[in-house]
Amino acid sequence: MSAPETGNGKPSAPSARLMYLAVAAAAGLVLVGGAAFYVATLKSHHGDDASNIKVAVTSKSCEPNEISVPAGERTFEIANTSDRPVEWEILDGVMVVAERENIAPSFKQTLKVRLAPGDYEVTCGLLSNPRGTLHVVPSEEANAAPTHATMRSFLGPLSEYKFYLGRQSSAAVRTAKDLADAIHAGDLAKAQALYVVARQPYKRIEPVVYRFSDLQNSIDPVADYFEKREADPAFVGYHRIERGLFVSKSLDGLAPVADRLVGDLATLDERLKAMKMTPGILIDSAGNFATQLSRDRLPADKSRNAQGDLSDIEANLDGLGKIVGLLRPVVKPVDPALAQRIDTTLSETENAVAEHKTGIDGAAPDAPDRPGQRKNLVAAFTNLADALNQLPSAIGIDSNGT
Amino acid sequence: MKPHFLAATALAAALGYAGMAYAEDEDSKLVEPLAAYKSYVADHTEKLLENTTKFTAAVNAGDIAKAKALFAPTRMDYESIEPIAELFSDLDHTIDSRADDFEGKEKDPKFSGFHRIEYGLWTENSTKGLEPYATQLLADVKDLNHRIENLTFPPETVVGGAAALMEEVAATKISGEEDRYSHTDLWDFKANFDGSKKIYDLVKPLIEKDNADFVKKVDENFKVVDDTLAKYKTADGYELYDKLSDEDRKVLAAKVNVLATELSTLRGKLGLN
Ligand SMILES: [Cu+2]
Repeated sequence: MSAPETGNGKPSAPSARLMYLAVAAAAGLVLVGGAAFYVATLKSHHGDDASNIKVAVTSKSCEPNEISVPAGERTFEIANTSDRPVEWEILDGVMVVAERENIAPSFKQTLKVRLAPGDYEVTCGLLSNPRGTLHVVPSEEANAAPTHATMRSFLGPLSEYKFYLGRQSSAAVRTAKDLADAIHAGDLAKAQALYVVARQPYKRIEPVVYRFSDLQNSIDPVADYFEKREADPAFVGYHRIERGLFVSKSLDGLAPVADRLVGDLATLDERLKAMKMTPGILIDSAGNFATQLSRDRLPADKSRNAQGDLSDIEANLDGLGKIVGLLRPVVKPVDPALAQRIDTTLSETENAVAEHKTGIDGAAPDAPDRPGQRKNLVAAFTNLADALNQLPSAIGIDSNGT
Repeated sequence: MKPHFLAATALAAALGYAGMAYAEDEDSKLVEPLAAYKSYVADHTEKLLENTTKFTAAVNAGDIAKAKALFAPTRMDYESIEPIAELFSDLDHTIDSRADDFEGKEKDPKFSGFHRIEYGLWTENSTKGLEPYATQLLADVKDLNHRIENLTFPPETVVGGAAALMEEVAATKISGEEDRYSHTDLWDFKANFDGSKKIYDLVKPLIEKDNADFVKKVDENFKVVDDTLAKYKTADGYELYDKLSDEDRKVLAAKVNVLATELSTLRGKLGLN
């Protein structure tokens, strides 16, 4: 069963936080850690009995079963009036915000927690008991919104993105190997099927990969950039293989290209795993990449089969969506309007891609787009890029050196 | 980042905040261990899904012997990620709650998951009626595996989880309550300790320079726990809990308590309070 979280659900005492805000606002910067310790020693007494919020856990439910408190740091006093040990948890969706476990019958425990405005559920003793409700209403104490994101708020998102990059790049190597195997085995149909799959993981991490220009030039260059175009011996990577599989419909000469691709992707995997993660990787990449897509790539379809082109766009959007999801909790407190705008433009873009897909499904794989569709797609990506490009100034953390 | 960092330091100095220069460089060092921990968890939930598939298949096939043999090893991948179980409390309830959590105890229809199946296999010595629980368990584990893949782990939950799990072991698990029908608790203990130690090991490089004594003590305590458990290792797992001598139980209880206290200072040491 779950491990108890007996400390504060969220970090830092309010006085520390206010102090931090004052300092941060003055300097337009972020700081954490040490300041909290210093200020904590000045902190006045909290949670005297009178201000505690009292809850009794009976054998059937909580009393009261519905509580309303102002946002900020609150202390709950939980009395177990049932005849077995109980736990009391504050839940935000399925996540435990804070909890006390193993409160013995006829004992009281206190729980101090920092609460943001919103509605929470509360577990009350037995799992079969009805849940209680905790309404946390906006308060002045909690209203002092930060104007800049903290490095601390990036720790979770950056760790998660590092994990994501590693997963996707490993998958890119693995699926490219499968593709190379099919090519070596002379199985054209299988290679054609594997090609689209193999490209997905690479396309998801493209917002970051474009930073490694040497690798990008050997993994995913377009023929137009070579002097002799498709016939140029230097033309390698995914698109060289694509040309063989879908235009020439022949595996001639593809084996060494596939082997090279596997090697280059393995190098990429190593580089990503060694890459130092900074907030700029999240803040800048999404906007830069969406801009590149809407301005340079989407208007000129470089793919040689429509289905593949669509898969590329979907995977790219997937990768952008991952970044948006990671930044949402960072952006929302400092610029709720921008957070909303990004979410809206992202879902509009997803809709545009879905519409595009309906147009392509059922059509022959090499059929041209229906007129207007690509224009809609470009417009959606342009709006998304515009919104994402507001991130650096909104988040306020300086993202140089990435 | 640098200009702001310098400004912070200058301002800190001006205001007389001696210890405030815990800024970006120090702070972002947690990213690597946190990402590595996420991989650890994702690997374990994948393995959990693989093993739960086999375990529940044995239950559904009515193969009691096989189901019993797979129960404890299957659980280990779950128990090793328990430090962060509060990130999926709903699933933790359906996968791993005890009969005491329900009004009707073992007979309560809501009692589900591993321990409900354990009750059937050992106490009732039958797989009769277990199929719905096996089906739900597998569905829950699939859900867990899928959720973990996309879940951002809050750093304070990860670091705090190492201590919290040791507290739970000290407070309740040490009594042998978790696997009360099968007495396979030592498997769980091993996984719980490994799971907490993983977190500690990942952040250790960030703190050992300034906390040499602390690191030495925690290492020693984990080693005593490991050595004690190792005495009960068998060819394919661990002895039953009743084989644990009183003396060793006392050693474990004492060390777990100390570890819980020591590890509870990790958040502070890493600036995550
Ligand atoms: Cu457990």
